[in-house]
Amino acid sequence: MSLDNILNHWSDYRKGAEEGGHHDYEHRWAMAINLDLCIGCNACSTACYAENNLAVVGKERFEKGQAMHWMRIERYWDQQELEHPEQGASFLPMMCQQCGAATCEPVCPVAATYHTPDGLNAQVYNRCIGSRYCSNNCPFRVRYFNFYSYYESSWPEPMEQQLNPDISVRDKGVMEKCTFCMQRIRSVKDKAFMEDRPVQDGEMVPACAQSCPTSAIVFGDTMDESSMVSKLWKKHQVERGVYQKTKLAKKDADLRGYRIFEELNVDPSVMYLERVREDI
Amino acid sequence: MVVMNRLINPGAGFARAGLAGMVFLAMLLMSSMAMAVKYDVVPPSGTHTGEDVPQPIEFPHDIHVKDNDINCMYCHTYARRSKVAGIPPTSKCMGCHKVIATDKPRIQQLTKYWEDKESPPWKKVHDLPDFVHFTHEKHLKTLAFDRDFPVEDVKEICAFCHGDVENMTVANKVKPLNMGFCVNCHIANKDLGAPGDCWKCHK
Repeated sequence: MSLDNILNHWSDYRKGAEEGGHHDYEHRWAMAINLDLCIGCNACSTACYAENNLAVVGKERFEKGQAMHWMRIERYWDQQELEHPEQGASFLPMMCQQCGAATCEPVCPVAATYHTPDGLNAQVYNRCIGSRYCSNNCPFRVRYFNFYSYYESSWPEPMEQQLNPDISVRDKGVMEKCTFCMQRIRSVKDKAFMEDRPVQDGEMVPACAQSCPTSAIVFGDTMDESSMVSKLWKKHQVERGVYQKTKLAKKDADLRGYRIFEELNVDPSVMYLERVREDI
Repeated sequence: MVVMNRLINPGAGFARAGLAGMVFLAMLLMSSMAMAVKYDVVPPSGTHTGEDVPQPIEFPHDIHVKDNDINCMYCHTYARRSKVAGIPPTSKCMGCHKVIATDKPRIQQLTKYWEDKESPPWKKVHDLPDFVHFTHEKHLKTLAFDRDFPVEDVKEICAFCHGDVENMTVANKVKPLNMGFCVNCHIANKDLGAPGDCWKCHK
């Protein structure tokens, strides 16, 4: 992929952003996360560590901000005058938003991150040279850089046996991020291909959604009109490519859908369900 | 075949007289239909000189494939069912070699492994890097089964990436199996739906 190719690619996208992008998408994987159901238990994060061979960096490096948690639970305290300071936290699981018009993609000098026909932001570890431009350009701060080689420290023998063989173990100098469990997507698609049928809704479940005890995370394909996630997006009036939308009934208690930094027009694929309170 | 005979020649008397000829014609027609594949595949190009991989038993592929005409997928049975083609279990070898060629030294070596309840420590010859996702089943489905390619000739499809194993004793890596080798073939066979997306193979 030459530089011209990359630049043309990007300008193509920007031209067509209003019409939903230039891609002939096969799927557009998306999530709907119900924050009213999220109890902040970190099960999703733990599941992600297990599924995606995430390195455990240790306390010191964690404090330096070098943690590798693709899925992190952000905590916010927005209620005043509670008896204990820890009370009243609200949680937000934060992972790569798989933006339709991702800001990380055009800045990569080697095209290691690009948009797949599945509507995901791919990260090809073999191409990555570790320039970290993508991480600096990500408004969500969900890209994680391997500052060290964690293989020895994170999986001392015999713990390397627990590694998932379907995803590579990243080494020093490589950027990584949530992939929406693309190894699972791939195996589901392979299975559907072998059986000559389209991928069905509910077949593909990422590790975080699978482990969520309250089923707060719904995963699916928004190109499939009948999928659970499409219905949720529609119900809460969240649309792709639309970044400022006057919702029909503002006072309706069940119109809770929003996407983070929607106003940046990055077209995230994750919808959160929580009534946005403007009085804080 | 009966229907075909009637179509070609409604006259019953003639059909009886030339029955043998008709059957022969019909068989010729059917075999040519089976040979006609739906579309053509551009095989990958490139050669490689792989180092000899010493195996615990010097397994002769030529005797099995060329002389005895055993299908690749008889032993490498997982090729059409999973990502990996698989090395056959010793029980598969013993299925035949309990009775066949029991006097040969290599078979006696194999029988010893079998009786000791050990598997011969076969060495991997075609090893892809860990960051590559490759499925045998999808390639076989696209290149052989979906094309109505005759299954008895499947070794020609296998030879795309594994070379002329038919004439090898112990398998040797004769194709580069690097990224250029894969990508060039995928570009050439784009019409068959060969994907060009990085994430199809890189993981």
